[in-house]
Amino acid sequence: MTTTTYTAAPAGRRRPVAWSRLAWVTLRQRRGAMIGLGVFLGLFAIYLAVMGFLQNHAYAGVAACDSGTVKCQQLAHAFTNDYWGGNASALLSGGAQSVSSILFAVPVLLGAFLGAPALARELSDGTFRFAWTQGAGRTRWALSTLAVPAAVLAAATGAFTALFSWYFRPFLEDHQVSEMLPLGFALLGVAFAAWTLLSYALAAFLGGLLRRTIPAMVVTLIVYIALAMVTAVSIRPHYMTPVTVPTGSITNSSGWVISQFVKTPGGQPVSLNYLYNHVPASVQNSPNQNAFVDWLTAHHYTQWTSLQPDSRFWPFQLIEGGWLLALSAALIAGSVWLVRRRGA
Amino acid sequence: MNIIETSALGKRYRRTWALRDCTLAIPGGHVVALVGPNGAGKTTLLTTAVGLTRPTEGTISVLGGTLAGAPGALDRIAFVAQDAPLYRQLPVRDMLRVARYLNHRWDEPRAIDRLQRLEIPLGRRVGALSGGQKAQLALTIALARRPSLLVLDEPLAALDPVAREDFLASVAEAAREESISVVLSSHVLAELERVATYLIVLTRGEVRVSSPVRDLLETQGAGLEEIAMRYLRAGAPSSRTDQTL
Repeated sequence: MTTTTYTAAPAGRRRPVAWSRLAWVTLRQRRGAMIGLGVFLGLFAIYLAVMGFLQNHAYAGVAACDSGTVKCQQLAHAFTNDYWGGNASALLSGGAQSVSSILFAVPVLLGAFLGAPALARELSDGTFRFAWTQGAGRTRWALSTLAVPAAVLAAATGAFTALFSWYFRPFLEDHQVSEMLPLGFALLGVAFAAWTLLSYALAAFLGGLLRRTIPAMVVTLIVYIALAMVTAVSIRPHYMTPVTVPTGSITNSSGWVISQFVKTPGGQPVSLNYLYNHVPASVQNSPNQNAFVDWLTAHHYTQWTSLQPDSRFWPFQLIEGGWLLALSAALIAGSVWLVRRRGA
Repeated sequence: MNIIETSALGKRYRRTWALRDCTLAIPGGHVVALVGPNGAGKTTLLTTAVGLTRPTEGTISVLGGTLAGAPGALDRIAFVAQDAPLYRQLPVRDMLRVARYLNHRWDEPRAIDRLQRLEIPLGRRVGALSGGQKAQLALTIALARRPSLLVLDEPLAALDPVAREDFLASVAEAAREESISVVLSSHVLAELERVATYLIVLTRGEVRVSSPVRDLLETQGAGLEEIAMRYLRAGAPSSRTDQTL
Protein backbone atom coordinates (compact mmCIF):
# COMPACT_ATOMS: atom_id res chain seq x y z
CA MET A 1 0.00 0.00 0.00
CA THR A 2 1.10 3.53 -0.61
CA THR A 3 1.93 5.96 2.12
CA THR A 4 0.32 8.93 0.39
CA THR A 5 -2.92 8.24 2.23
CA TYR A 6 -1.32 9.25 5.49
CA THR A 7 -0.02 12.63 4.40
CA ALA A 8 -1.36 15.14 6.90
CA ALA A 9 -3.26 18.14 5.62
CA PRO A 10 -1.29 21.37 6.09
CA ALA A 11 -1.79 22.52 9.67
CA GLY A 12 -3.14 25.91 8.63
CA ARG A 13 -6.02 24.40 6.68
CA ARG A 14 -7.72 22.88 9.66
CA ARG A 15 -10.64 24.97 10.82
CA PRO A 16 -12.63 24.04 13.92
CA VAL A 17 -16.11 22.62 13.44
CA ALA A 18 -18.62 25.50 13.30
CA TRP A 19 -20.52 26.31 16.49
CA SER A 20 -23.79 26.45 14.58
CA ARG A 21 -23.33 22.80 13.60
CA LEU A 22 -22.46 21.79 17.14
CA ALA A 23 -25.51 23.70 18.38
CA TRP A 24 -27.70 21.78 15.92
CA VAL A 25 -26.32 18.51 17.26
CA THR A 26 -27.06 19.53 20.85
CA LEU A 27 -30.56 20.78 20.08
CA ARG A 28 -31.39 17.64 18.10
CA GLN A 29 -30.23 15.38 20.88
CA ARG A 30 -32.06 17.34 23.57
CA ARG A 31 -35.19 17.90 21.51
CA GLY A 32 -37.39 15.92 23.89
CA ALA A 33 -36.20 17.93 26.88
CA MET A 34 -36.69 21.21 25.00
CA ILE A 35 -40.24 20.26 24.08
CA GLY A 36 -40.88 19.27 27.71
CA LEU A 37 -39.56 22.64 28.86
CA GLY A 38 -41.75 24.45 26.33
CA VAL A 39 -44.90 22.55 27.26
CA PHE A 40 -44.35 22.97 31.00
CA LEU A 41 -43.63 26.70 30.91
CA GLY A 42 -46.22 27.19 28.15
CA LEU A 43 -49.06 25.71 30.22
CA PHE A 44 -48.01 27.79 33.21
CA ALA A 45 -47.84 30.85 30.95
CA ILE A 46 -51.37 30.29 29.68
CA TYR A 47 -52.64 30.13 33.26
CA LEU A 48 -50.71 33.29 34.20
CA ALA A 49 -51.97 35.11 31.09
CA VAL A 50 -55.63 34.30 31.84
CA MET A 51 -55.39 35.07 35.55
CA GLY A 52 -53.22 38.12 34.92
CA PHE A 53 -55.77 39.50 32.52
CA LEU A 54 -58.59 38.99 35.03
CA GLN A 55 -56.77 40.36 38.03
CA ASN A 56 -55.25 43.34 36.25
CA HIS A 57 -58.77 44.17 35.13
CA ALA A 58 -60.20 43.69 38.65
CA TYR A 59 -57.39 45.71 40.17
CA ALA A 60 -58.01 48.60 37.78
CA GLY A 61 -61.40 48.91 39.47
CA VAL A 62 -59.83 48.92 42.92
CA ALA A 63 -57.18 51.45 41.96
CA ALA A 64 -59.74 53.81 40.38
CA CYS A 65 -61.91 53.76 43.48
CA ASP A 66 -61.59 56.43 46.20
CA SER A 67 -60.11 54.39 49.03
CA GLY A 68 -61.92 56.41 51.71
CA THR A 69 -65.35 54.95 51.07
CA VAL A 70 -66.73 51.74 52.55
CA LYS A 71 -67.69 50.50 49.10
CA CYS A 72 -64.12 50.84 47.92
CA GLN A 73 -62.76 49.07 50.96
CA GLN A 74 -65.13 46.20 50.25
CA LEU A 75 -63.95 46.14 46.65
CA ALA A 76 -60.30 46.05 47.74
CA HIS A 77 -61.07 43.32 50.23
CA ALA A 78 -62.87 41.26 47.61
CA PHE A 79 -59.90 41.68 45.23
CA THR A 80 -57.49 40.37 47.85
CA ASN A 81 -59.81 37.52 48.71
CA ASP A 82 -60.40 36.52 45.10
CA TYR A 83 -56.91 36.77 43.68
CA TRP A 84 -54.26 36.94 46.36
CA GLY A 85 -54.93 34.64 49.28
CA GLY A 86 -58.11 34.33 51.31
CA ASN A 87 -60.41 31.85 49.65
CA ALA A 88 -59.08 32.78 46.20
CA SER A 89 -62.44 32.21 44.64
CA ALA A 90 -61.84 33.62 41.15
CA LEU A 91 -61.93 30.62 38.79
CA LEU A 92 -61.00 28.46 41.82
CA SER A 93 -57.51 29.58 40.99
CA GLY A 94 -55.76 29.03 44.28
CA GLY A 95 -54.64 32.65 44.37
CA ALA A 96 -51.37 34.34 43.59
CA GLN A 97 -49.95 33.40 46.98
CA SER A 98 -50.20 29.66 46.23
CA VAL A 99 -49.08 30.10 42.64
CA SER A 100 -45.94 31.89 43.86
CA SER A 101 -45.21 29.08 46.30
CA ILE A 102 -45.44 26.51 43.51
CA LEU A 103 -43.28 28.58 41.16
CA PHE A 104 -40.65 28.76 43.88
CA ALA A 105 -39.82 25.10 43.15
CA VAL A 106 -39.73 25.49 39.36
CA PRO A 107 -36.09 26.63 38.88
CA VAL A 108 -34.60 23.54 40.49
CA LEU A 109 -37.02 21.20 38.71
CA LEU A 110 -36.23 22.69 35.29
CA GLY A 111 -32.51 22.88 36.03
CA ALA A 112 -32.25 19.28 37.25
CA PHE A 113 -34.43 17.99 34.40
CA LEU A 114 -32.32 19.63 31.70
CA GLY A 115 -28.92 19.65 33.36
CA ALA A 116 -28.50 16.21 34.92
CA PRO A 117 -28.73 14.15 31.69
CA ALA A 118 -26.42 16.45 29.67
CA LEU A 119 -23.24 14.54 30.51
CA ALA A 120 -24.59 11.72 32.70
CA ARG A 121 -26.57 10.16 29.88
CA GLU A 122 -23.59 10.12 27.52
CA LEU A 123 -21.48 8.53 30.24
CA SER A 124 -24.02 5.93 31.36
CA ASP A 125 -25.06 4.98 27.79
CA GLY A 126 -21.45 4.84 26.59
CA THR A 127 -22.16 7.26 23.72
CA PHE A 128 -19.37 9.54 24.96
CA ARG A 129 -17.06 7.07 23.23
CA PHE A 130 -18.72 8.11 19.98
CA ALA A 131 -19.03 11.83 20.74
CA TRP A 132 -15.50 12.37 22.05
CA THR A 133 -13.73 10.65 19.17
CA GLN A 134 -15.24 12.78 16.38
CA GLY A 135 -13.26 15.46 14.57
CA ALA A 136 -14.83 18.31 16.56
CA GLY A 137 -12.97 17.22 19.69
CA ARG A 138 -14.44 16.78 23.12
CA THR A 139 -13.87 20.30 24.45
CA ARG A 140 -15.95 22.00 21.78
CA TRP A 141 -18.51 19.23 22.04
CA ALA A 142 -18.75 19.74 25.82
CA LEU A 143 -19.08 23.53 25.49
CA SER A 144 -21.93 23.15 23.03
CA THR A 145 -23.63 20.35 24.98
CA LEU A 146 -23.56 22.42 28.16
CA ALA A 147 -24.03 25.98 26.91
CA VAL A 148 -26.79 25.60 24.33
CA PRO A 149 -29.47 24.24 26.72
CA ALA A 150 -28.30 26.82 29.31
CA ALA A 151 -28.97 29.63 26.85
CA VAL A 152 -32.39 28.21 25.92
CA LEU A 153 -33.24 27.82 29.60
CA ALA A 154 -32.16 31.36 30.47
CA ALA A 155 -34.16 32.82 27.58
CA ALA A 156 -37.28 30.80 28.42
CA THR A 157 -37.23 31.59 32.14
CA GLY A 158 -36.43 35.24 31.41
CA ALA A 159 -39.48 35.52 29.18
CA PHE A 160 -41.52 33.68 31.78
CA THR A 161 -40.42 36.20 34.44
CA ALA A 162 -41.63 39.07 32.25
CA LEU A 163 -45.07 37.47 32.11
CA PHE A 164 -45.07 36.70 35.82
CA SER A 165 -44.12 40.30 36.69
CA TRP A 166 -47.12 41.56 34.74
CA TYR A 167 -49.32 38.96 36.47
CA PHE A 168 -47.96 39.91 39.88
CA ARG A 169 -47.97 43.70 39.47
CA PRO A 170 -51.42 44.40 41.03
CA PHE A 171 -50.31 42.94 44.36
CA LEU A 172 -47.18 45.07 44.45
CA GLU A 173 -49.13 48.18 43.50
CA ASP A 174 -51.75 47.27 46.07
CA HIS A 175 -48.99 47.11 48.73
CA GLN A 176 -50.07 43.58 49.47
CA VAL A 177 -46.50 42.40 49.73
CA SER A 178 -42.96 43.67 49.38
CA GLU A 179 -41.02 42.52 46.30
CA MET A 180 -38.01 42.25 48.60
CA LEU A 181 -39.52 39.37 50.56
CA PRO A 182 -37.91 36.02 49.67
CA LEU A 183 -40.93 34.62 47.83
CA GLY A 184 -41.47 37.60 45.54
CA PHE A 185 -37.75 38.29 45.16
CA ALA A 186 -37.06 34.81 43.79
CA LEU A 187 -39.74 35.09 41.10
CA LEU A 188 -39.12 38.64 39.87
CA GLY A 189 -36.25 40.48 38.22
CA VAL A 190 -33.39 38.26 37.14
CA ALA A 191 -33.55 35.89 40.13
CA PHE A 192 -35.86 33.28 38.57
CA ALA A 193 -33.66 32.83 35.50
CA ALA A 194 -30.44 33.02 37.54
CA TRP A 195 -31.52 30.34 40.02
CA THR A 196 -32.68 28.13 37.14
CA LEU A 197 -29.31 28.56 35.46
CA LEU A 198 -27.49 27.72 38.68
CA SER A 199 -29.46 24.51 39.25
CA TYR A 200 -28.88 23.56 35.60
CA ALA A 201 -25.12 24.08 35.92
CA LEU A 202 -25.06 22.25 39.25
CA ALA A 203 -27.01 19.29 37.83
CA ALA A 204 -24.78 19.14 34.74
CA PHE A 205 -21.63 19.15 36.87
CA LEU A 206 -22.99 16.50 39.23
CA GLY A 207 -24.09 14.43 36.23
CA GLY A 208 -20.53 14.54 34.91
CA LEU A 209 -19.18 13.65 38.33
CA LEU A 210 -21.63 10.88 39.30
CA ARG A 211 -22.15 9.64 35.72
CA ARG A 212 -25.79 8.82 36.41
CA THR A 213 -28.84 11.00 35.83
CA ILE A 214 -31.12 10.18 38.76
CA PRO A 215 -28.49 10.48 41.52
CA ALA A 216 -27.36 13.77 39.96
CA MET A 217 -30.95 15.07 40.09
CA VAL A 218 -31.38 14.04 43.73
CA VAL A 219 -28.12 15.62 44.88
CA THR A 220 -28.94 18.76 42.89
CA LEU A 221 -32.25 19.04 44.70
CA ILE A 222 -30.63 18.71 48.11
CA VAL A 223 -27.78 21.15 47.42
CA TYR A 224 -30.13 23.62 45.77
CA ILE A 225 -32.58 23.70 48.68
CA ALA A 226 -29.75 24.18 51.16
CA LEU A 227 -28.18 26.96 49.10
CA ALA A 228 -31.49 28.73 48.49
CA MET A 229 -32.30 28.69 52.20
CA VAL A 230 -28.86 29.84 53.30
CA THR A 231 -29.01 32.61 50.71
CA ALA A 232 -32.40 33.90 51.84
CA VAL A 233 -31.60 33.66 55.57
CA SER A 234 -27.91 34.50 55.85
CA ILE A 235 -26.52 35.91 52.61
CA ARG A 236 -29.08 38.16 50.96
CA PRO A 237 -29.78 40.31 54.08
CA HIS A 238 -26.13 41.40 54.01
CA TYR A 239 -25.86 42.63 50.39
CA MET A 240 -26.24 46.16 51.80
CA THR A 241 -26.45 47.57 55.33
CA PRO A 242 -30.10 47.53 56.42
CA VAL A 243 -31.94 50.81 56.98
CA THR A 244 -33.25 51.43 60.49
CA VAL A 245 -36.59 53.21 60.79
CA PRO A 246 -39.17 53.70 63.56
CA THR A 247 -41.39 50.63 63.64
CA GLY A 248 -44.51 52.78 63.54
CA SER A 249 -43.64 54.12 60.10
CA ILE A 250 -43.51 50.85 58.16
CA THR A 251 -46.22 49.13 56.14
CA ASN A 252 -46.59 45.72 54.47
CA SER A 253 -44.71 46.91 51.46
CA SER A 254 -41.94 49.04 52.96
CA GLY A 255 -39.42 46.34 52.41
CA TRP A 256 -37.97 43.21 53.88
CA VAL A 257 -37.82 43.34 57.68
CA ILE A 258 -34.51 41.96 58.95
CA SER A 259 -34.86 42.61 62.70
CA GLN A 260 -36.79 44.63 65.25
CA PHE A 261 -35.49 46.07 68.49
CA VAL A 262 -36.14 48.68 71.15
CA LYS A 263 -34.07 51.64 72.26
CA THR A 264 -33.99 52.63 75.91
CA PRO A 265 -34.71 56.25 76.87
CA GLY A 266 -30.93 56.63 76.98
CA GLY A 267 -30.62 55.40 73.34
CA GLN A 268 -29.26 51.90 74.08
CA PRO A 269 -30.56 49.17 71.73
CA VAL A 270 -32.20 46.23 73.52
CA SER A 271 -33.78 43.14 72.04
CA LEU A 272 -37.54 42.83 72.34
CA ASN A 273 -37.25 39.41 73.92
CA TYR A 274 -34.91 40.63 76.61
CA LEU A 275 -37.16 43.54 77.48
CA TYR A 276 -40.31 41.41 77.49
CA ASN A 277 -38.77 39.19 80.15
CA HIS A 278 -37.87 42.17 82.31
CA VAL A 279 -41.12 44.15 82.39
CA PRO A 280 -43.34 43.88 85.53
CA ALA A 281 -45.38 40.67 85.79
CA SER A 282 -48.57 42.69 85.67
CA VAL A 283 -47.68 43.79 82.13
CA GLN A 284 -46.55 40.31 81.03
CA ASN A 285 -49.75 38.71 82.26
CA SER A 286 -52.10 41.48 81.23
CA PRO A 287 -55.10 40.34 79.16
CA ASN A 288 -54.72 43.56 77.18
CA GLN A 289 -52.76 42.76 74.01
CA ASN A 290 -51.30 46.23 73.85
CA ALA A 291 -50.13 46.27 77.46
CA PHE A 292 -46.48 45.70 76.54
CA VAL A 293 -46.39 48.37 73.84
CA ASP A 294 -48.28 50.80 76.11
CA TRP A 295 -45.75 50.15 78.87
CA LEU A 296 -42.87 50.83 76.43
CA THR A 297 -44.41 54.08 75.29
CA ALA A 298 -45.13 55.17 78.87
CA HIS A 299 -41.52 54.57 79.82
CA HIS A 300 -40.12 56.40 76.77
CA TYR A 301 -38.80 53.32 75.02
CA THR A 302 -38.87 53.56 71.24
CA GLN A 303 -39.35 50.67 68.75
CA TRP A 304 -37.17 50.34 65.68
CA THR A 305 -37.06 48.11 62.61
CA SER A 306 -34.07 47.22 60.44
CA LEU A 307 -35.15 46.53 56.90
CA GLN A 308 -34.05 46.31 53.31
CA PRO A 309 -36.33 48.81 51.58
CA ASP A 310 -38.16 48.13 48.33
CA SER A 311 -36.05 50.75 46.59
CA ARG A 312 -33.13 48.31 46.77
CA PHE A 313 -34.91 45.69 44.67
CA TRP A 314 -32.79 46.13 41.53
CA PRO A 315 -29.40 46.47 43.28
CA PHE A 316 -30.20 43.30 45.19
CA GLN A 317 -31.38 41.50 42.05
CA LEU A 318 -28.19 42.41 40.23
CA ILE A 319 -25.95 41.39 43.12
CA GLU A 320 -27.68 38.04 43.42
CA GLY A 321 -27.89 37.54 39.67
CA GLY A 322 -24.20 38.41 39.41
CA TRP A 323 -22.88 35.87 41.85
CA LEU A 324 -25.28 33.17 40.66
CA LEU A 325 -24.10 33.74 37.10
CA ALA A 326 -20.47 33.58 38.20
CA LEU A 327 -21.11 30.37 40.15
CA SER A 328 -22.97 28.85 37.18
CA ALA A 329 -20.13 29.73 34.84
CA ALA A 330 -17.67 28.14 37.27
CA LEU A 331 -19.77 24.95 37.40
CA ILE A 332 -19.99 24.81 33.59
CA ALA A 333 -16.23 25.31 33.39
CA GLY A 334 -15.85 22.54 35.99
CA SER A 335 -18.04 20.26 33.86
CA VAL A 336 -15.91 20.93 30.77
CA TRP A 337 -12.86 20.16 32.89
CA LEU A 338 -14.46 16.85 33.95
CA VAL A 339 -14.97 15.95 30.30
CA ARG A 340 -11.41 16.91 29.41
CA ARG A 341 -9.76 14.99 32.22
CA ARG A 342 -11.96 11.90 32.03
CA GLY A 343 -10.06 8.90 30.82
CA ALA A 344 -7.05 9.91 32.86
CA MET B 1 5.00 4.90 8.74
CA ASN B 2 3.68 3.43 11.94
CA ILE B 3 -0.02 3.98 12.54
CA ILE B 4 0.34 3.25 16.25
CA GLU B 5 3.58 3.43 18.14
CA THR B 6 3.85 2.92 21.87
CA SER B 7 6.76 3.00 24.24
CA ALA B 8 6.59 1.45 27.72
CA LEU B 9 2.89 2.29 27.69
CA GLY B 10 1.03 1.52 30.91
CA LYS B 11 -2.43 2.21 32.24
CA ARG B 12 -3.51 1.64 35.82
CA TYR B 13 -7.10 1.74 37.04
CA ARG B 14 -6.90 2.29 40.79
CA ARG B 15 -4.66 -0.64 41.81
CA THR B 16 -4.93 -2.83 38.72
CA TRP B 17 -2.72 -2.44 35.70
CA ALA B 18 -4.85 -2.90 32.56
CA LEU B 19 -1.78 -2.50 30.38
CA ARG B 20 1.85 -2.71 31.40
CA ASP B 21 5.12 -1.90 29.68
CA CYS B 22 3.60 -2.16 26.24
CA THR B 23 6.02 -1.31 23.45
CA LEU B 24 4.65 -1.68 19.94
CA ALA B 25 5.08 -0.34 16.45
CA ILE B 26 2.21 -1.18 14.13
CA PRO B 27 3.02 -0.44 10.50
CA GLY B 28 0.43 1.17 8.25
CA GLY B 29 -1.42 -0.52 5.44
CA HIS B 30 -2.50 -3.58 7.35
CA VAL B 31 -5.65 -5.07 8.75
CA VAL B 32 -4.37 -5.68 12.25
CA ALA B 33 -6.00 -8.28 14.45
CA LEU B 34 -5.50 -7.49 18.12
CA VAL B 35 -6.19 -10.74 19.90
CA GLY B 36 -6.33 -11.66 23.55
CA PRO B 37 -8.59 -13.00 26.26
CA ASN B 38 -11.07 -10.79 28.08
CA GLY B 39 -9.28 -8.37 30.36
CA ALA B 40 -6.02 -8.58 28.43
CA GLY B 41 -5.89 -4.83 27.86
CA LYS B 42 -7.13 -4.72 24.26
CA THR B 43 -9.76 -2.07 24.90
CA THR B 44 -7.33 0.00 26.96
CA LEU B 45 -4.75 -0.06 24.17
CA LEU B 46 -7.32 0.97 21.56
CA THR B 47 -9.03 3.69 23.62
CA THR B 48 -5.61 5.10 24.44
CA ALA B 49 -4.77 5.18 20.73
CA VAL B 50 -7.94 7.14 19.92
CA GLY B 51 -7.42 9.58 22.79
CA LEU B 52 -10.25 8.45 25.04
CA THR B 53 -7.96 7.06 27.72
CA ARG B 54 -4.88 8.83 28.99
CA PRO B 55 -1.88 6.63 29.76
CA THR B 56 -0.54 6.35 33.31
CA GLU B 57 3.00 5.94 32.01
CA GLY B 58 4.85 5.71 28.73
CA THR B 59 3.94 7.34 25.42
CA ILE B 60 1.71 6.64 22.47
CA SER B 61 1.66 8.31 19.08
CA VAL B 62 -0.46 7.66 16.03
CA LEU B 63 -0.30 8.21 12.26
CA GLY B 64 3.45 8.63 12.25
CA GLY B 65 4.12 10.76 15.29
CA THR B 66 0.90 12.63 16.10
CA LEU B 67 0.00 12.65 19.79
CA ALA B 68 -2.96 10.35 20.43
CA GLY B 69 -6.12 12.42 20.90
CA ALA B 70 -4.66 15.56 19.29
CA PRO B 71 -7.00 17.41 16.87
CA GLY B 72 -5.11 16.14 13.82
CA ALA B 73 -5.43 12.59 15.10
CA LEU B 74 -9.16 12.90 15.87
CA ASP B 75 -9.75 14.07 12.31
CA ARG B 76 -8.11 11.08 10.71
CA ILE B 77 -8.93 8.21 13.04
CA ALA B 78 -12.40 6.72 13.10
CA PHE B 79 -13.22 4.66 16.16
CA VAL B 80 -16.10 2.27 16.68
CA ALA B 81 -16.30 1.31 20.35
CA GLN B 82 -17.57 -2.03 21.59
CA ASP B 83 -21.34 -2.45 21.08
CA ALA B 84 -21.16 0.43 18.56
CA PRO B 85 -22.58 3.17 20.79
CA LEU B 86 -24.81 5.53 18.79
CA TYR B 87 -27.76 7.72 19.77
CA ARG B 88 -30.57 5.19 20.02
CA GLN B 89 -33.41 7.70 20.08
CA LEU B 90 -32.43 9.31 16.76
CA PRO B 91 -33.58 8.12 13.35
CA VAL B 92 -30.71 6.92 11.12
CA ARG B 93 -31.01 10.09 9.00
CA ASP B 94 -30.43 12.38 12.00
CA MET B 95 -27.70 10.15 13.37
CA LEU B 96 -25.85 10.66 10.09
CA ARG B 97 -26.36 14.40 10.32
CA VAL B 98 -25.03 14.44 13.91
CA ALA B 99 -21.90 12.65 12.73
CA ARG B 100 -21.58 14.94 9.72
CA TYR B 101 -21.83 18.07 11.89
CA LEU B 102 -19.27 16.72 14.36
CA ASN B 103 -16.62 16.26 11.69
CA HIS B 104 -14.58 18.29 9.23
CA ARG B 105 -14.46 15.59 6.63
CA TRP B 106 -17.62 13.84 5.60
CA ASP B 107 -18.62 11.90 2.54
CA GLU B 108 -22.39 12.05 2.51
CA PRO B 109 -23.08 10.32 -0.85
CA ARG B 110 -20.91 7.45 0.24
CA ALA B 111 -22.75 7.04 3.53
CA ILE B 112 -26.17 7.17 1.87
CA ASP B 113 -25.08 4.79 -0.87
CA ARG B 114 -23.69 2.32 1.63
CA LEU B 115 -26.85 2.34 3.76
CA GLN B 116 -28.97 1.80 0.65
CA ARG B 117 -26.90 -1.19 -0.36
CA LEU B 118 -27.28 -2.58 3.15
CA GLU B 119 -31.01 -1.85 3.03
CA ILE B 120 -30.92 0.13 6.26
CA PRO B 121 -33.90 2.52 6.19
CA LEU B 122 -32.98 6.16 6.90
CA GLY B 123 -36.20 6.76 8.76
CA ARG B 124 -35.80 3.98 11.32
CA ARG B 125 -34.70 4.76 14.84
CA VAL B 126 -31.16 3.57 15.63
CA GLY B 127 -32.53 1.76 18.68
CA ALA B 128 -34.87 -0.26 16.44
CA LEU B 129 -32.09 -1.62 14.18
CA SER B 130 -30.82 -5.18 14.52
CA GLY B 131 -27.37 -5.77 16.02
CA GLY B 132 -25.87 -6.34 12.57
CA GLN B 133 -27.51 -3.24 11.11
CA LYS B 134 -26.34 -1.12 14.02
CA ALA B 135 -22.76 -2.34 13.62
CA GLN B 136 -22.96 -1.61 9.89
CA LEU B 137 -24.33 1.87 10.57
CA ALA B 138 -21.46 2.58 12.95
CA LEU B 139 -19.01 1.34 10.29
CA THR B 140 -20.74 3.48 7.65
CA ILE B 141 -20.37 6.57 9.82
CA ALA B 142 -16.73 5.72 10.51
CA LEU B 143 -15.97 5.26 6.80
CA ALA B 144 -17.86 8.39 5.76
CA ARG B 145 -15.31 10.33 7.82
CA ARG B 146 -12.70 9.17 5.29
CA PRO B 147 -10.23 8.13 7.96
CA SER B 148 -6.63 7.09 7.51
CA LEU B 149 -7.02 4.66 10.36
CA LEU B 150 -10.09 2.71 11.39
CA VAL B 151 -10.13 1.33 14.93
CA LEU B 152 -12.76 -1.26 15.84
CA ASP B 153 -13.09 -2.57 19.37
CA GLU B 154 -14.66 -6.04 19.52
CA PRO B 155 -16.84 -5.33 16.48
CA LEU B 156 -17.90 -8.95 16.17
CA ALA B 157 -18.84 -9.68 19.78
CA ALA B 158 -22.53 -8.86 19.50
CA LEU B 159 -23.09 -10.19 15.98
CA ASP B 160 -24.52 -13.45 14.71
CA PRO B 161 -22.39 -15.52 12.28
CA VAL B 162 -23.94 -14.10 9.10
CA ALA B 163 -23.60 -10.51 10.33
CA ARG B 164 -19.97 -11.25 11.26
CA GLU B 165 -19.24 -12.44 7.74
CA ASP B 166 -20.84 -9.38 6.20
CA PHE B 167 -19.17 -7.00 8.60
CA LEU B 168 -15.70 -8.43 8.02
CA ALA B 169 -16.27 -8.38 4.28
CA SER B 170 -17.11 -4.67 4.51
CA VAL B 171 -14.00 -3.96 6.55
CA ALA B 172 -11.78 -5.92 4.16
CA GLU B 173 -13.27 -4.12 1.18
CA ALA B 174 -12.70 -0.68 2.71
CA ALA B 175 -9.12 -1.58 3.65
CA ARG B 176 -8.40 -2.87 0.17
CA GLU B 177 -10.08 -0.21 -1.94
CA GLU B 178 -9.27 2.90 0.03
CA SER B 179 -5.93 2.04 1.60
CA ILE B 180 -7.31 2.49 5.09
CA SER B 181 -5.32 0.90 7.88
CA VAL B 182 -7.54 -1.09 10.21
CA VAL B 183 -6.98 -2.26 13.77
CA LEU B 184 -9.64 -4.52 15.17
CA SER B 185 -9.69 -6.34 18.44
CA SER B 186 -11.35 -9.64 19.09
CA HIS B 187 -11.38 -12.51 21.49
CA VAL B 188 -12.70 -14.81 18.79
CA LEU B 189 -10.14 -15.96 16.25
CA ALA B 190 -11.95 -18.01 13.68
CA GLU B 191 -13.28 -15.24 11.45
CA LEU B 192 -10.16 -13.11 11.50
CA GLU B 193 -8.07 -15.45 9.39
CA ARG B 194 -9.51 -14.20 6.11
CA VAL B 195 -8.99 -10.50 6.75
CA ALA B 196 -6.03 -10.05 9.09
CA THR B 197 -2.64 -9.28 7.60
CA TYR B 198 -0.97 -8.46 10.92
CA LEU B 199 -1.36 -10.17 14.29
CA ILE B 200 -0.87 -8.82 17.79
CA VAL B 201 -1.47 -11.10 20.76
CA LEU B 202 -1.99 -9.40 24.09
CA THR B 203 -2.41 -11.28 27.35
CA ARG B 204 -2.55 -9.88 30.85
CA GLY B 205 -1.49 -6.43 29.70
CA GLU B 206 1.62 -7.62 27.85
CA VAL B 207 2.42 -8.06 24.16
CA ARG B 208 3.17 -11.71 23.24
CA VAL B 209 3.62 -11.27 19.52
CA SER B 210 3.42 -8.45 17.00
CA SER B 211 4.13 -9.55 13.46
CA PRO B 212 2.82 -9.66 9.88
CA VAL B 213 0.64 -12.72 9.37
CA ARG B 214 2.62 -13.78 6.32
CA ASP B 215 5.85 -14.05 8.36
CA LEU B 216 4.10 -16.05 11.06
CA LEU B 217 2.63 -18.46 8.56
CA GLU B 218 6.01 -18.97 6.90
CA THR B 219 8.00 -19.55 10.07
CA GLN B 220 5.48 -21.50 12.10
CA GLY B 221 3.82 -23.59 9.43
CA ALA B 222 0.36 -23.59 10.92
CA GLY B 223 -2.96 -21.78 10.51
CA LEU B 224 -3.38 -18.31 11.97
CA GLU B 225 -5.87 -19.50 14.53
CA GLU B 226 -3.48 -22.15 15.78
CA ILE B 227 -0.54 -19.75 15.91
CA ALA B 228 -2.56 -17.22 17.88
CA MET B 229 -3.68 -19.97 20.22
CA ARG B 230 -0.08 -20.95 20.93
CA TYR B 231 0.78 -17.40 21.98
CA LEU B 232 -2.38 -17.14 24.06
CA ARG B 233 -1.49 -20.37 25.85
CA ALA B 234 2.06 -19.15 26.41
CA GLY B 235 0.69 -16.06 28.08
CA ALA B 236 -1.77 -17.87 30.33
CA PRO B 237 -0.85 -18.14 34.04
CA SER B 238 -0.81 -21.98 34.27
CA SER B 239 1.52 -22.59 31.33
CA ARG B 240 3.87 -19.98 32.69
CA THR B 241 4.35 -22.01 35.81
CA ASP B 242 4.97 -25.04 33.64
CA GLN B 243 7.73 -23.21 31.80
CA THR B 244 9.56 -22.27 34.95
CA LEU B 245 9.41 -25.80 36.32
